[in-house]
Amino acid sequence: MHYPFWDQPIGYGVLMAIIAVFHVFVSHFAIGGGLYLVVNEQQARRDGDMDRLAFLEQLSKFFAMVTLVAGALTGVGIWFVIGLLAPAATEALIHNYVWGWATEWTFFVVEIAAAMLYFYGWKRLTAKAHLTLGWIYFGAAWLSLVVINGILTFMLTPGRWLETGDFWQGFFNPTYWPSLVLRTGVCIMLAGLYALLVASRLEAGDFKARIVRQAAGWAVVGLVVTALAQAWYWKAIPVAVTAKALESMPTPLRAIVLSLWLAAALGAGVLALVILAPRRFGTLAALGFMALGMAWFGAFEWSRESLRKPYILTGYMYGNGAEVAETARYQRDGFLPQITYRTGDDGADLFRHACRSCHTLDGYKALKPALAGADRAYILALIQGAHLLRGNMPPFLGTPKEAELIADHLYQRTDHRPLADIHKVDGLALGRRAYDLRCGKCHAVGTASDKAKSLAGQSAEDLSGMLDMAASLGEGMPAYTGDAAERKALVAYLQTLGQGGKP
Amino acid sequence: MTLPDYHFISAPLWLVTTLHLLTLTLHLAAMSCLFGGTLIALWAGIRKQWAGPDAVDFVRVLPAATAATVSLGVAPLLFLQLVYPRQVYAAAIVSGWFWLAVIGAVITAYYAFYRASFQAHRTGQVSLGLLALAALGLLYTSLVYSSVFALAEQPDLLRALYAKNQSGWVWNPALGAYGLRWLHMLLGALTVGGFFVSLLGRHSSAMAATGRAAFVGGMAAAAGAGFLYLLTLDTDLAPFMRTPAMPALVVALLLALAALHFHSRKRFGLSGLCLFLSVFGMVYMRHVLRLVRLRGSFDLAAWRVAPQWSPFLLFLVCFMLMLVVLVWMARLFFRPDEDSA
Repeated sequence: MHYPFWDQPIGYGVLMAIIAVFHVFVSHFAIGGGLYLVVNEQQARRDGDMDRLAFLEQLSKFFAMVTLVAGALTGVGIWFVIGLLAPAATEALIHNYVWGWATEWTFFVVEIAAAMLYFYGWKRLTAKAHLTLGWIYFGAAWLSLVVINGILTFMLTPGRWLETGDFWQGFFNPTYWPSLVLRTGVCIMLAGLYALLVASRLEAGDFKARIVRQAAGWAVVGLVVTALAQAWYWKAIPVAVTAKALESMPTPLRAIVLSLWLAAALGAGVLALVILAPRRFGTLAALGFMALGMAWFGAFEWSRESLRKPYILTGYMYGNGAEVAETARYQRDGFLPQITYRTGDDGADLFRHACRSCHTLDGYKALKPALAGADRAYILALIQGAHLLRGNMPPFLGTPKEAELIADHLYQRTDHRPLADIHKVDGLALGRRAYDLRCGKCHAVGTASDKAKSLAGQSAEDLSGMLDMAASLGEGMPAYTGDAAERKALVAYLQTLGQGGKP
Repeated sequence: MTLPDYHFISAPLWLVTTLHLLTLTLHLAAMSCLFGGTLIALWAGIRKQWAGPDAVDFVRVLPAATAATVSLGVAPLLFLQLVYPRQVYAAAIVSGWFWLAVIGAVITAYYAFYRASFQAHRTGQVSLGLLALAALGLLYTSLVYSSVFALAEQPDLLRALYAKNQSGWVWNPALGAYGLRWLHMLLGALTVGGFFVSLLGRHSSAMAATGRAAFVGGMAAAAGAGFLYLLTLDTDLAPFMRTPAMPALVVALLLALAALHFHSRKRFGLSGLCLFLSVFGMVYMRHVLRLVRLRGSFDLAAWRVAPQWSPFLLFLVCFMLMLVVLVWMARLFFRPDEDSA
């Protein structure tokens, strides 16, 4: 509330993902790739394998270009973007973990210097000196992960820090160790995948087959470590967090299932490659594996971010920057007095600070299409019961008057026409639209809050009566405020759901 | 359960301030070598003052200088955000797109430097186009930094600008408040860059002459721009004059003159040391001026200090280790004969 709000149209989640996802791929490769280079260089020098040394020198150029420039700069980019998108959370993290970040910076400086000297030192240095620089590089890079992992995992599982505020208790939090093992596995896996990409450009033959087999081995070992650690990681997350996600958040669960399928596909694909065609392994296949690996890792990061909802710092700060400790003050005095940067349009200011961190009007998690056809009373009810909606939303902490200001702001920007006119549908199709608007925001079919079975055997009159008394059904259900045509179609659709019909 | 309060500084303020000023000086020194050096190389290339192996060798140093600038820029930004988050984030958000585009500009400059370096190594020719592209990236970055950090010191303007436009497309319109400051920084970069060029080109008469001219001329011009900037401070000038920054200014100027003196006698080590300390003095003045400009809306002493000594000790040990490892690696790289012996 102490900061201006960057009202850009892309959506915070998308903007963050563009920079952060790219950076995590590169930064993990920067660690695993360093280990791959130095281990292989050691073996190649021991065996006097000049072909392999030439390959490694080529790989190190690719490595330096990717990690030193894109890796380092997108890392700084994450600093920039979190300060823009979540300044309050960034401030909280910096005040608690400034010495953690400062320590990580010392490793970062050594990492960058060692990487440059290693890259430029192939011809200039002795084998021993070159290898020493390689090991220093890898050590510094991995230690930077050791540090940053503490801050990253703190955001999901702050553990006893919430009671004590102690640096180390927050740092070595419940998911610290499984996450460290998992990310180390990812580093090894990505090193194998990047090496496969560079190896794919070699001429077909025995040498290529040897390099491909070995790189594939790295990818598979990394994948196995990662898969095991992922199970450990899931178990380390407090049950309260996972249970809430299982109940109301299909998205992270889909992401986890997707990540397992992607991991299996990647493992099977890489193994098939090693057995079937290591000599003729092409760039297209390498890019395919790389895409699979990135999709898997992306799905994991997505699920991790989603699990944290409705918080940005679990149990401490909501996704919109509202501090849990300030809840009583927000409810008593309202949001508006806490907003330092005002524009003169209170509804817009409230909307920005309460909702815009996750939602846009037209883009990512867009509200205009989601609320098309809704009346003002229903929008107001949704705002006041935001914490009950699907997706683990933070509660609306402002005053009733402020909720009305947001409702007005949204109502003025949404399509007020009947659903039938907006979507050009009637009958069951209209009923489904009405269900999505009026019911599906909590009772999504196929999720834990699916109530379709309770509709079995109910007549149209029963269902219409249920809509009449929706507001008295408890659990924050809003009153049914749709028009007669919409009601008729919705009742018909509810009947099909009760009969086991597919939505 | 009472949740922890994050509104605190985890070390004594003098310690955080010292670390901030020290790391910012290191960053500015590296940045000035890079930015000033690039501009000088570009100018010298256009005027055909130096070319061939000297120019190639110089261009091949620029990727390393970029790496140093970026790496050394992280720590001062961290300490700045620790103490002035409300000011810095607010200004960055109001100019969000310009601020974020800095990353793209620096990546472009970095790749241009690498490309120029590889090309120069391969062909023996320096691509002025690539150097110009890199210089543009750095120029953009310098303008955004000056605009945003000046805006961070003008809370009333910040509020007024945000009230009108929340899109992140706001450029600080108070050019009078930071135009000369930016020019002073640019000329300072040329000064340090001139020193850098003359140091690396000390065995080449053309390169040494170019570096010397930029060093001397840049310093005189930077001093002029700096004094003009002081005159634009308006109501902030009087309170600024009453701070310890004024004696620091005198010392910094004397150190700058000493740097010139030692440079003319080719005692580059002493000259560089004086120059570095002079930059440190300027950074200190910049710090004091920020506090003067923020008086009334921000009080440094209002921060609650709750030291985290064990994490700080870990940082200190790692910092010392970093210095040792950097020196050791540099010796290993630049004196490979010792290693093989």
